[in-house]
Parts: sequence; structure tokens; C-alpha cells
Amino acid sequence: MNLNLDGTKPIYLQISEWLEREILNGHFESDQKIYSQYQLAEIFNINPATAAKGLNILADENILYKKRGLGMFVASSAKEMILNKRKNETLKRLVQEIVLEAERLNVSRDELIEMIKAAKIGEVET
Amino acid sequence: MSVVTCNGLTKEFGRKRALNNLSFQIEENKITGLIGRNGSGKTTLLKIIAGLIKETSGKIEVFSEKPFNNLTISANAIFIHDQMNLPAALNLKEILGAAANFYENWESNLAQRLFDYFSLNPSQHYQDLSNGMKSTFNTILGLSARCPLTIFDEPTTGMDAAVRNDFYRAVLKEYIAYPRSIIISSHHLNEIEDLLEDILLIKDGKEHLHLPAEEFKEWAIGIQGKKAIINEWTKNRDIIYTKNIGHDQSYVVVRSQFSNQEWQQARANGVEFSPVTASDLCIYLTSKTEGGIDDVFNQG
Repeated sequence: MNLNLDGTKPIYLQISEWLEREILNGHFESDQKIYSQYQLAEIFNINPATAAKGLNILADENILYKKRGLGMFVASSAKEMILNKRKNETLKRLVQEIVLEAERLNVSRDELIEMIKAAKIGEVET
Repeated sequence: MSVVTCNGLTKEFGRKRALNNLSFQIEENKITGLIGRNGSGKTTLLKIIAGLIKETSGKIEVFSEKPFNNLTISANAIFIHDQMNLPAALNLKEILGAAANFYENWESNLAQRLFDYFSLNPSQHYQDLSNGMKSTFNTILGLSARCPLTIFDEPTTGMDAAVRNDFYRAVLKEYIAYPRSIIISSHHLNEIEDLLEDILLIKDGKEHLHLPAEEFKEWAIGIQGKKAIINEWTKNRDIIYTKNIGHDQSYVVVRSQFSNQEWQQARANGVEFSPVTASDLCIYLTSKTEGGIDDVFNQG
């Protein structure tokens, strides 16, 4: 993966999202040790403190847990927590964006719902 | 623990005040970016830290000692800049050999590998090198010395983009393997910002901002929309930069201090938000006017 370094999203967030994807993709199992801040710094060419910040976000959310002197490990319910988080935060935010844009464009609620349904069907067809 | 502490540091050259009551601390084993415009006092500050020149007034401590003419500092700090005074009688290989005698942690293996990688010629003399090659050789000295305090003042002058990238990667790898305090001043903030833990921005010889690099990026935000609406929104805020777009739109950079509610309201009013890159923010913050160069052309 390449980081998006143009400043649109903080690097540490990109790191934590990348780690989440790695966990969702099954590259890391429960109770497996995840990359250290120094490994992440090397992989992405960033300051280790920034990488640590990305790791700490996931530790604060209990997606990772710390073992003293050993590093950070994947929590047993990490996958579920990531999926829930994405649903409750990311998806919710995207929906809000859509609703806001629809209001700006005078698209009615029903029309918007139809559009969402059509998008889903379209996705199945392609 | 802090490596560099200064308090009310002032340096005058005749009547010109290069550093004006500067106060900050640099903590141990961090990579700090020293950012500022030409003539803002960066090099003067670095020379004082390295002990090459003496402050006019105020307090400066490096490793808890006064740096000027101090042997502890000379042994534990290396100052890399583009006016390096290296012996003209020695060739590059001999300079590396001599450097090994000066620095306790000198890593000749690393020096040799970097030297070969960058295809330097051992029998050449420093004064015959191109600007880019001089800079490359300087950085080899800086990295191989493994000094607890390593200072790079505009280290990439004259280097092409590929060598600059190699240098940044080399700094990071060395830092991870052998943590040390590193100060880098550079005009290429966009290139080094990911390498940095802290950013120290100085303007007119004064400290302007000293923040973790990541916070720096979120410190300000760009907002764009209809001029009237934007003016309303920015009325009681710290305006950092203003630019008019078309005849009724404006783009304004302000401190990012919006409540969630204000944020949503603004967006409902058609105001667009966009992040400000660290290097753009530095340009805006160190500019003398809010409109930048455009102000020159906007008279009447």
C-alpha cells in the first residue's frame, strides 16, 4: 500500500486503517503479534512516533492489546470490533454526506432511497 | 530529558537582531524539523547550538552545558551545513579516516557503504566536488558520526530528487537502529514532514510554533465558499491566510477550532472544508501579509 501523503488524511489514521484492513483480510489472527512501530516506520518511511500513534488508536479501542515488553497483539474480537466501528462511524458519516448533498440538490427522501436501491442492484449486476 | 534548552535567547550582529528572545526545548531522541523563511535565524540558531558562535544574551544549554567553545558539545554534536570547512589537502577517503578520530561512535562500515552507494571517488578532493556531491558527502559524515546530537542545516542543497529520497530513508533507518536527537532545517518541508516527530517554526528570530508534526497538520483548516458567508464564519477567528477566488468566492485558512455543530451548519451553508498541508501552513504563517504575493499586485 502507498500512503496518501498529500495531507488530506493524517498519516497515523492511515496507518491504523491499514492495520485494520490487514486484520480484516486475515493477515493477522487473534493473539498474533502485529507490526511494531519501528517496522511500520520502515515500511511506510515515517517517523516511528507517528506509527506508534496509529498503533495506539487501535490499542485505545481494544482492537489491539499490549503485552509489556513484547509489543502489541490482535484482540480476539478484533474483526467484529472493526466491522462495528466501520458501520457505526464510517458508514454513518458517509450517509450523512449523502443526505446533505441530496438536500443541497433538492433530491427528496424517497428519490434518494430509490437511488440507493438502484445503486445496490447495479452493483449486483456488474 | 531535553537536549537543547533555550530561554530568551538573543543574538545580535551589530544592530541586526537575528534571534529575538527565543525560548524552546528539544527533547532527547526526537527528529525535529527547524522551519523558517530565508533570514529567519535558522542557521544562527543552529550555530549557537553547535557552539560555533556565542549568544548575545539569554540562556542556552545543550546536554545541560553552555555550548560555546565547549569540548563536550564538540565531541557529542555534529553540525552539517553547506559551508563545511574540510581540509583541502586531504582526499575524501582521508577525510573519512580523520573523522573517525574525532567521533567516538564513528561507524566506518556505514561511511564506506554510503560512500560506495553514492559512487563517490575516494581520491577526489572535497573542493572539486559539485554542490550536490558536497552535500552528499556531508550527510555521510553526519550519519556515520552517530553523534547523540546530529544537526543538518539544509542538508539537501544541490541534491537531485533521487539522492534526497535516499538521504531521508538513510536518516530514518539510522535513527531507528541508533536513536539520537536529530535537528534538520530544510526548505523542503513537504519532503521531510513524515520523517519528523516535531516541527519548530521560527519567524523573525522568534519561536512561532512548536508542535508534533501530526498536530501541525491539523492545526489549521482551509474553508472555501461565498465571500459573505465566509466573512461571517471567520469574523471572530484567527485568520491565517485569505485568497479571493472568482468574484464572490473566497478561501480562508483559520485555526481549526470548530464545534461539531458549527461544522455541520457551515457545511449546510455550502462551506467547503479542506486540510492545509504542513508546508502550505508554514508559508502562510511566515508570510508578512495575509494575502502573500497577491497583495503586491492588489494596490488600488
